[in-house]
Parts: sequence; C-alpha cells; structure tokens
Amino acid sequence: MTLHPRNLYEPKMAVLDEVRDEIQDVKTFYWHFENQQDQQSFRSFMPGQFAQVSVFGTGEMPLSLPPSPTEDRLFFTTRRVGRVTAAMHDLKPGDRFGVRGPYGNGFPMQEYLGRNLIIVAGGIGLIPLRSVIIYALDNRDKYQKIQVFYGSRTPKDLMYVDNLKEWQQDKGFECYLTVDQGDGSWNGHTGVVGTLFKKPGVEMPVENTTVFICGPPVMFRFVLADLKKMQFDDRNMVSTLERYMKCGVGKCGHCCIGLAYVCTDGPVFTLEQIRRLGEEI
Amino acid sequence: MRARLIHKDDLLKIVDLLRKDYEVYAPFYGRDRDTYFDTVTDANRDAIQVHLPNPYYPPKRYVYPHIQRLFTIRKGSNPAIEPAQDARKRAVFGIRSCDIAGIFHLDRFFLGNTYRDNYYEAFRNNIFLVNVVCSDAAVDIDDDCFCVCADTGPAARDHFDLQLMDLHNDRGEFLAVAGTPRAEAMFDHSFFTRATPEHVARRREILNDGRKRFKLATSWYSAATRFITEGMVTDETWQKVGNRCLECGGCSYVCPTCTCFTTTDRRTGSNETERIRIWDACALSGFTRMAGGHNPRKAVHDRRNRRFFRKLGYYFIQRELMPSCVGCGRCVSVCHGDIGMPHVVEILRRETLGGGKKT
Repeated sequence: MTLHPRNLYEPKMAVLDEVRDEIQDVKTFYWHFENQQDQQSFRSFMPGQFAQVSVFGTGEMPLSLPPSPTEDRLFFTTRRVGRVTAAMHDLKPGDRFGVRGPYGNGFPMQEYLGRNLIIVAGGIGLIPLRSVIIYALDNRDKYQKIQVFYGSRTPKDLMYVDNLKEWQQDKGFECYLTVDQGDGSWNGHTGVVGTLFKKPGVEMPVENTTVFICGPPVMFRFVLADLKKMQFDDRNMVSTLERYMKCGVGKCGHCCIGLAYVCTDGPVFTLEQIRRLGEEI
Repeated sequence: MRARLIHKDDLLKIVDLLRKDYEVYAPFYGRDRDTYFDTVTDANRDAIQVHLPNPYYPPKRYVYPHIQRLFTIRKGSNPAIEPAQDARKRAVFGIRSCDIAGIFHLDRFFLGNTYRDNYYEAFRNNIFLVNVVCSDAAVDIDDDCFCVCADTGPAARDHFDLQLMDLHNDRGEFLAVAGTPRAEAMFDHSFFTRATPEHVARRREILNDGRKRFKLATSWYSAATRFITEGMVTDETWQKVGNRCLECGGCSYVCPTCTCFTTTDRRTGSNETERIRIWDACALSGFTRMAGGHNPRKAVHDRRNRRFFRKLGYYFIQRELMPSCVGCGRCVSVCHGDIGMPHVVEILRRETLGGGKKT
C-alpha cells in the first residue's frame, strides 16, 4: 500500500471466504480483496502490523495480522468482545467488509537477522506473534535458535491447534506448550508460561536474543519478572500495544501514549520504549 | 505586504464581493454576550459585526467540521463505497488572529505529518480568510484572552488572505493588508484607496496600545512547558487539576487547535449507511476505553494530564511549530471548574516551584 493513499479513511472492499472456530468466542476469518491490485499491495505487510477493519453499518476497528507475508492466505482472528467484533462474528462467507492498511511499524525482522528469537505468548496473545513465528520459520536459515513458549488457561483455549501440532513435530525449533489447568485429555505441561522457562532441558540464550512477549496483563507482568531475573535487557524485549483507535494514521488522537502514537510509532515497542512512554500501559 | 485603506461603510462590499464566489460566514450578535458565526444571507448581511466578543464556537468548523461525512456505503448485490466530496468554496469574514493561528496549527497537524488528511485538505484549499484585528479593547478583547503571550495576536502576521484593522480615527478608516495574491487582486476595486506611511504608523500605535489592554499579558506557559517536558509535575498536582474537571469536554469543543475525532456509522437509507467523523474530547471517560472495557486512562486527572501534555509538551511544539494553545481564552470562559489554560499553568507553576505545597 502506498504511504500516501489518496483517501486516508476509505477502506477497500474485501470478501469473506471462510470462517473457522478457533476457541470459544474466537474465530478466524479468511478473506481476500475484491480488487486484485489491492490484494497485491496489501501483501507487503510485516509481522506485527495491523489493519483497520470495517463492518459496514457498525463501525471500524484495528485488528492485528496473524498471517505471515510468506503465506498465501489473508485472515484475521478476533474474539467477540465489543460491538464491531460481534458484528464481524455474524458475517457469513461471501459477505463484504472493508479493510485498509497495513498500518504501524511492525517487528523489524531485518534487524533481528542472525539473532536468537524467543517468542512468549499467552492466550490470544498468539494472534500477532503467529505472524512472527511463521515468518521466522519460512526464513529459518536467517535466524539462530528459535523458541516458542505458549500457554493458555485450559487445553480448550489453545489457539491455532493445527499450527501447534506442526510446530511440536518440527525439529528445526523448540515449541513448548502449557496450560494453567489441564483436563483428562491433557498430558502436557501444567502451570503458567513462566514455569516453562525452568522446565528441565530448556535452555534460553540471553546473549544475542530478542524476546517477543504478548498476552494478558497478568501474564505479561510475571513473564517480565522471570525474564528480568534471567538478565534479559529491556532493549531486547519487544511487545505490541493495544489502544482504542479510530483512524490508524495518527490523526484521531485516541491511541496517543505520552509522545507516541501507537498507530504510527507502534504498535511494536521495546520494553525500554514502553517504560519511557510515561503513562500506564 | 500590500496595504490599502477602506472606509468602514465599504467593509460589507468585501462580503458582497466574496459572496459571488464563496459561501461566506461572518460573526453576529445573539443575545447579550452571545455571539456566533453564521452563513451570510441577504437577510442578515446588514447585521454583520466587525467589533464584537469572539464567538465561543470557533470558526475552526469551516475547515474541520464538527460532524463530517467520510463516505457512503451502498449495500445490495454490488456494494460500493462512495467517498464524500465537498469542494464548496468558503470564506470567513471577521476571523480573529487567534483563530487564524489555530487554523495554522490544524494545517501542521493534518497536512504536516506522515499522512495527509485529504478531507481537511479539500476544505482548507477552498477557504478564504478575512482576518479582523482586535483593536477595540472594550469589545474585542476579553478578560480571558492572552494572545499576546501565545504570540498569535492581536494582529496575525501570516496565514490570512486579507487582514482588516480599524484605525479608530474620525475618518472611519480601516487598513487592509493582503496576505495572498488573490486578496491583493481585490485591491483593484475602487473602494480601496492608497494608504500612507502615516496610516502604517497609526497601525503600530494601536497595536502597541492594544497590547497593554490585555488583563492576562502572560500566562507563563514557557515555564509550564519546561515542567511538563521534564516530567517535573507530580501526580498530586495533576490530581488537583483533575479534581476540578467536570468531564464535560467543553474545553475541547471550543478549542481552535483541538483535532481529536471519533468515527461512527449511521444508517441513512434502507440500503445505505454513512461513516461520519465527529469531534471528540480527551476529557470524556470513554476516550481511551477499549472493547472489553479496559481503560488505560481511567482516572480523570490522567486525562487532564494528557490534555496539557499534548498542548504544551516540547515534542509537540517542535512537531507543529507552535504550542497547541493560541491564547483565545475560550477554555477559560467555558470551564465550570476554572481549569482553563492560564489557570492550569498557574497551578503547575505554584505546585512545581513551591515544592508541591498546598495552594
């Protein structure tokens, strides 16, 4: 997408192809642009960027982009939580909706070349990080060690189960799963995400490593404390922030934190940057 | 700069001239102090005022409407998005210098950053601004104004098309200054006559005198800028400010520099909806509330902190080339809790310099 679209706020028409249930209240929406050219230019997005999605008659919302640019299909994953997400969940294949973007800075994957990548996700925090994981795996030779730590409340709350199965069998990287509370069918690890770090056999390199963290605030706090204890530097830990947003292009003023507009300066910030924003996160 | 003289009885001829090509807005008296900008028609033309208190509802809306349609969505078998077009030519007669500076701030914000706002640009490109200098201390200048401190008035130096200034002499002369070629072209009309160096000297004299007539010669906000930028203002101080906020959002709605908006979809026909944008205000508690209910700026003092940080923080001054306060004094007049800009600056100064002691 060009940096200076002729019309800042006009979405492009998109068509819903398929809806899949992920977990309770969370669905994945596969879609494509009606216009082939829009599809082409949109595909230049980077992991960590987001799009403004319109459900006509209800409103517009920012959604992160779970697919990697190295994949063929475009999709969104969202929980039914507010007015617009609820309307999105009611859409049927074939329905039209609007998309504009991609917006935001995204993860600077080029800067991380030759580094170890540690991805820590909790619950639906995997949505923006899925893009990073797939992108890194599709460029496997460009990165060193890759580790994924993913936790959810129960086995039923694990997202992208097909991917998780593949990832656990993949020998090229390490993928550790955990749930807070197991059930009869679960024979994996039980406990919060941080307990995975201490699991026997897990070795996390501190030097030359970037850590990606996304998840609910509680998880975020505890994981940070664990990582700090292991001497990870604030500059090498990155996350994406969420804010109420109406424009995505730094105009509506809702997402501003301190000096930064989450939509144009973010949503990806290092922990060091987050601490300097000067407001509650 | 080209200057001419015009007699006060001929001022409305400028309005007539503009009305041939533009939809013209001008200030009028309502009841008592109440003044407002309205569209000039044949019926109200003669009631246009030159000297009057500046209307609270700012003329900002003629470049950045309070409610603006962005596009229409037609549903049905072949759904389509039709962007709103508004290429109407508009002119504001009698806009004050502070509001001119406010429009310059909007220019910087909407057009000067990474993304250009095409809707603002369309309105801005089609507007003609006739600035009237506040020269009548008794009527034009309010107790709450402080443009002298904000360095935006009483006479704007730039960003207007035509500037008119009452020379307050017994000949009823106004000095007209052209800021753009299209305004200079108006000087061909015979009701504009030559000005002499004596008139220019008179202009300077009035401005010098006018500056002394402000009750608030300074609001000291350079000090406030330093305190805010360097993080010297404590949370307790912001709480004191926040305690006085009634969360009405009035300060934002009268502010010539506030830019925040929200968008919403509304149904306009059986198969048709439109997306509009509406001014929003950071004072309102829903301003940062996300779907699901989490609100990172829940406390009212955090939201007040935000407003003044945005208006006076050095980073933003650098980015927009001016503080986001033009000294119009409207927030002072409308605020029920008495936390307009100068008063907040005063609180910040006292609390910060006084080591946070009670005021």
